[in-house]
Amino acid sequence: MTVSAIEFSRLGPPKLRLYAMRCTACGTLSPWWERHHCYHCGGSEMVEQELAGRGELTNYTVVHYPPRDFLGQEPYVVGHITMDEGVLIPAPVVGVAPEDVRVGTRVKATLRRMKLGHEGDIYYSQKFVVDEEAPAG
Amino acid sequence: MAELIRYGAYLPRYRAPLAEIQSFYGRPGRPRARALCTPALDEDALTMAHEAAGEALAGAEAPGTLIALTQSPPFGLRKLSATLARTLGLAAETVPIDLGGHAGGLLDALALASALARDGSPALVVASDHLVSHEERVCDLLSAGGAAAFLVGAAGGFARLGPAARAGREVYDVWRLGTEPEPRYRLEVLFDAYAATTTAALAELERQTERAAGDYAAVCPSQPHPQTLRGLGRAGVGPQQLEHTSFVGEIGNLGAASVGLALALGLDRAEPGQHLLALGYGGGEAIAQDIEVTAPSPAVGAAERIPGEAIDLSTYYRWTRGRQAEPH
Amino acid sequence: MRVGVLGIGKTPHKIQHDKSLRDLVVEAGRAAMADAGVEPSDIQALYVGNCGSVGFNYENSTGLMSAHHLGLVPSGAVRVEAACGTGAWALHLGCTAILSGLYDTVMVLGAEKMNDLATVEGTSIIAQAADSKEEYFSGLTFPSGVALTARKYMQTYGLTEEDLAHTSVKNHHYGARNPYAHLRFECTVEEVMRSAKVADPLKLYEVCPMTDAGSALVLCREEILRDRPEVPQVYVTATQMATGTWYAATDTLADAHALLAAPAQRAYEMAGIGAEDIDVAEIYNSFAIQEPLGIEALGFAPQGEGWKGAADGSTWIDGKVGVNLSGGLLCKGHPLGATGSTQAVDIVEQLRGTAPEGMQRPDAEIGISACRGGPGAVGAIHIYQRLEG
Repeated sequence: MTVSAIEFSRLGPPKLRLYAMRCTACGTLSPWWERHHCYHCGGSEMVEQELAGRGELTNYTVVHYPPRDFLGQEPYVVGHITMDEGVLIPAPVVGVAPEDVRVGTRVKATLRRMKLGHEGDIYYSQKFVVDEEAPAG
Repeated sequence: MAELIRYGAYLPRYRAPLAEIQSFYGRPGRPRARALCTPALDEDALTMAHEAAGEALAGAEAPGTLIALTQSPPFGLRKLSATLARTLGLAAETVPIDLGGHAGGLLDALALASALARDGSPALVVASDHLVSHEERVCDLLSAGGAAAFLVGAAGGFARLGPAARAGREVYDVWRLGTEPEPRYRLEVLFDAYAATTTAALAELERQTERAAGDYAAVCPSQPHPQTLRGLGRAGVGPQQLEHTSFVGEIGNLGAASVGLALALGLDRAEPGQHLLALGYGGGEAIAQDIEVTAPSPAVGAAERIPGEAIDLSTYYRWTRGRQAEPH
Repeated sequence: MRVGVLGIGKTPHKIQHDKSLRDLVVEAGRAAMADAGVEPSDIQALYVGNCGSVGFNYENSTGLMSAHHLGLVPSGAVRVEAACGTGAWALHLGCTAILSGLYDTVMVLGAEKMNDLATVEGTSIIAQAADSKEEYFSGLTFPSGVALTARKYMQTYGLTEEDLAHTSVKNHHYGARNPYAHLRFECTVEEVMRSAKVADPLKLYEVCPMTDAGSALVLCREEILRDRPEVPQVYVTATQMATGTWYAATDTLADAHALLAAPAQRAYEMAGIGAEDIDVAEIYNSFAIQEPLGIEALGFAPQGEGWKGAADGSTWIDGKVGVNLSGGLLCKGHPLGATGSTQAVDIVEQLRGTAPEGMQRPDAEIGISACRGGPGAVGAIHIYQRLEG
């Protein structure tokens, strides 16, 4: 949850693009929130790396009791997507019925409206849809 | 003359049952559209613009200008085009420009883009709308949502943007006062003004191009209501010219994206040597433009996106009603 | 180490609209002090475990509030927070206070009042125990974050949802016998499978309710308890804490195992015992899957087999080790700050022989409590022993 438009400005740029954090010491990619510290090697210098947007659904759950910002969207799928670059990104998977979701499905990122901040500041971020162009199986 | 280099179109996947919506509100008569193309709760004019723009830009050089137009911006007093440019990862050199005002604005934007496009620096035009009206008004305004995008360059395209003609009159057909959240409308005025101004614009375009309305391979019009398409017959447009570019009877009114989707449908099927007629209408003004296809078009398959996934009445109600209750 | 447990007390664990947070604090604290036979002036320091009073109750400074209303002024008091491991951390600090030699008698008190707000608000507040700004941006909640672990576990070991359902059956068997529990009904595997979906694959009977509760322990130096032979001689003999990743995205099954296994190993060494010596265990299970994971981490079963004990009886009252004979968090609920202290109270009851009929394991002498918190962020192990003479 976010507090105010001040926080929105501080977060900038907000997640208008899909990116991960690369450790300058060991090169491992971590999710976008690891701005301070590399969980793998303990390194303390992390830089942004944009992701191409394609990956594989390696785990998922279906949320039936949403938090306030997601009211009305339930039931919705939240997936763990292993991006082609190797990093695991958590994100909703949309445009597919929860009962049709499978581990192993190829997915690609799309831009969606995530929530309305406390002061009417709008947060956009990436959700994922099934990648129709990916080879089947 | 500027050229179209690439284009894109995005339609949300969900189709709301207009017959049931009408029945729910006790409205008699046959529903004027089979379904309403309904953006999901997490979609808005920005997210749809992003999808259409992404398709139009794929593989192309970054544009020098991005022109965004919508009648339903998620926010005011700050630029949709600027945020959209950021979502597309466009360089700081891309100048963001917002247009608003009327549903036919795509052709205004193409005119602006034509003037701004230079060799090596095309202009991207993105039209996106997420019309939401509530209660029984939705039965008349056929409010739906979608987006279309066009990359305009000085050269190197597949179609030339030809002469354009305009005609307008001072009317209130669909409008909204500055402080109001929902549109007001007078359909009789809309049908009348659409027919009259289009006829005048088409006549003027014929005078410039020496090509009659009936001689275009396809007509790609704004279509806020099926009745407006019927009015085109009186201006010399034949049903076969609208056969593949009509969609309002299937999915409803896409506002500023309407003429964009019609144009995408027309371009998908166009052959080199053919001329298409783009026809934008809004707020009492019609703009007619001749577009000459010179090379095979980079088709996007817009027609396949018209059918979608049915949602039930309760889902439609939850997705649209809630937006009236909370700031959107 | 030996830290004496002089007294224990707890409130019912359920929705209690007639009691405020401070009412729960006072009820639990007074019960513990009465059980210990001490006056408020005997308590030299107070450690209050409370996780979310700012969100749930619009009040802060829970430690100071508690000291005032319990009559513990002028002794020092502080509020402790470590997500769902809060109560265990309060216990840990109480133990270290005694072991430091600076204090003779302290009180550890966990309390949480979750039910003044609607579920959707409560869910959003609980989410703040994880990274609600970043990771939960993706629509995750605590149940759905743990659900991802459940699916990983099932995939890795080739298990079905029925295999995991036995855990709820066992917990509900004992919850039905626990007068202090929130949920007091038995259920079958079929009923677990039919219960409403919360976050696939977790179902309603596999997740804990939101509960209002308080629980407390009066701790003292070993000599003080020795000098009170009429009090059951139960001591905390090990306390070990750990952290793990604060993100579900980086919480593998190996991480989940290590979060409890590493401090458990240190705790066994500290107490001079092994897993085979444990009679009763309270294992954190706000979501059913966490019980098999905890059973494996504490060394009661190999990895991938922790779920079996609920099905074959070996973790029931007369099995190899009685796990969650209180009904666990699935039935007691998870009053965030009180869970860790309630686990301690329930183990002490087992070792004293005062647990209600149908829940009391005969001749329980050594117990362990495993508490966890956050997506995979807090691990807390305590060992308790009844030591006569």
